[in-house]
Amino acid sequence: MNTFKDLLRVSLGGLLARKVRTVLLLLGPMIGVAAIIAAVGLTDSAKGDLKRKVTELGTNLVLVSAQSSVGRQNPTLPADATDRASKVITVEKVAAITQLSNIVVTPYERAKSQFETVPIPVVAVDSELPNVLEVPLISGRWINAFDESATTRAAVIGIGLAREFNYLPGEIRTIELNGIRYGVVGILGEVELEPAFDNAVFVAFQAAEQDFVDNDILPNKVYVRCENGTETETAIALKTAVNLGGPQEVQTEIKAAALELAAQSDRQLQLIVVSMGLLAVIVGGLGIANVMSISVIQRSAEIGIRRALGHSRAIIGAQFMLESLVVGFLGGVMGVLLGVGAIFTGVKISGWVFVLASWLPPAGIVLAMLISVLAGVYPSARAARLEPLETLRLG
Amino acid sequence: MTAEAVMELANVSRVYGQGEATVFALRNVSLRIQSGEFVSIVGPSGSGKSTMLGLLGCLDVPTSGTITVCGREITALGDAERTAVRGRTIGFVFQQFHLIPHLDAAGNVETALLYRGLKPAERRDRALAALQQVGLLPRAEHRPVQLSGGEQQRVALARALVTEPRILLGDEPTGALDTKNAAMVMELFANLRSPERAVILVTHDPGVAAAADRKISMLDGEIVADERRAVLL
Repeated sequence: MNTFKDLLRVSLGGLLARKVRTVLLLLGPMIGVAAIIAAVGLTDSAKGDLKRKVTELGTNLVLVSAQSSVGRQNPTLPADATDRASKVITVEKVAAITQLSNIVVTPYERAKSQFETVPIPVVAVDSELPNVLEVPLISGRWINAFDESATTRAAVIGIGLAREFNYLPGEIRTIELNGIRYGVVGILGEVELEPAFDNAVFVAFQAAEQDFVDNDILPNKVYVRCENGTETETAIALKTAVNLGGPQEVQTEIKAAALELAAQSDRQLQLIVVSMGLLAVIVGGLGIANVMSISVIQRSAEIGIRRALGHSRAIIGAQFMLESLVVGFLGGVMGVLLGVGAIFTGVKISGWVFVLASWLPPAGIVLAMLISVLAGVYPSARAARLEPLETLRLG
Repeated sequence: MTAEAVMELANVSRVYGQGEATVFALRNVSLRIQSGEFVSIVGPSGSGKSTMLGLLGCLDVPTSGTITVCGREITALGDAERTAVRGRTIGFVFQQFHLIPHLDAAGNVETALLYRGLKPAERRDRALAALQQVGLLPRAEHRPVQLSGGEQQRVALARALVTEPRILLGDEPTGALDTKNAAMVMELFANLRSPERAVILVTHDPGVAAAADRKISMLDGEIVADERRAVLL
């Protein structure tokens, strides 16, 4: 035990005596471990955020949309798509939408030149959409049955658009759709499952038919809430139910699964960054091997005198190996701190949930120590092999 | 009564190289050094002094012949055991001091006591005592760059003494010093004579050699003279 303490004292003394060299040695494992910790931690935090979103939004939202494989530019679903979807036994709520095209949205006449070149999606909706999406209104109200029956020119805008138009909550305001004034009756909250809705204008199907289209508007998407745990069966059943007897092709998508898919691509990115971090640790290890080999040459007189004083080859080898190990440990610890700092910063900026697997910091330190030990094998063996007679100029 | 032999060389030869490049650094040398002796080994450059020093210090092994240190034949030992014998019985003082630059004087002296199972406090006390013995206690916390050449050599001497070795081996210990410091170091060596210890100095300086009780002269790898003068201990 005393021998180990002596070794540790000598090794630390050697490292502290050459501070700049030690700091340079630390950089390799530190940057590598930091990159790995940050990559894994940030993707885990993003995934954690995703899980939170899925938990909040529910996994039971299914999107039915028309597919354009038969050559039509704007594929649509049957007019009774919502009724057909409602007939599926596991379906709880249904809402239809159609995205309208070629409509210029301006907040007011004088701002026309500024906004007419900015494409703002206009969506024809029914009164059920917020209910199905389970998204609350920030202020005002949604399109209701009166708007539909009386064909009022009422519009709801997404939260992003409200911010862009500097809309104040509760403010009485109109917007112009192709020059036709619509009263803004409400602002829809953030729709995490359909981010495009945050910058959209929503109007009733009836109003859209009256002002922008000559014929009846057919839905091109239907949002469905089904019973929990029945998403897959519901998605399969909806394909048949909505399309039965029609010429269209229909595709269904479980929104939570789409998020999982996004997480999958994050994992691939994570793998790339982790590989780069691993590469940095290995390059850092090579740096340690290189610098320590040079150090053995520079310190050959010291090694010689220690050998002359009775320090064995094993002790000399262990001294250099311990220096490598300490560099690996300190580099690993600093890398973990740096990596955690990067995750914390990333999480702060992105508003994610901080997730750090408990095994990650110790694994990072162990990896740095392992690489450092491997890197230290050659210089340590070289130091141990030095003959005192070669290094002490006698006579 | 004959004093105990601390170092005995029997028919020792040291050969470097092979074939036509063979060099006989030492030829069939036999030598016995007893405790209490103060010996100088002298000779011109190329006479085999350095080879002799390497062998006496257990830093090298002979090509043939045997070396016995304090009754133990070290030529039959492996490197680890030979190193242990070296650490226990021999103290070195080199011409170039060979102090470790990042350690202070006490730290350098302590280096000789490492890995011996001693507690740091005990090691420190012994190092300070050794520094006091060479008159350098007030400079215990000074690094080698803060010390003069003479002081550095005295630290090296304290490092050699701290393990209480049976053999004190000096390699041109005054070679890098001015006259005043050389005289001071030689006085210290002379005072280190004791019945339990042999002091061996390898030198080409006749003045240093004259301070010893026994002068061994070497030429072309052989001992050509072994002179003693009577000394009262």
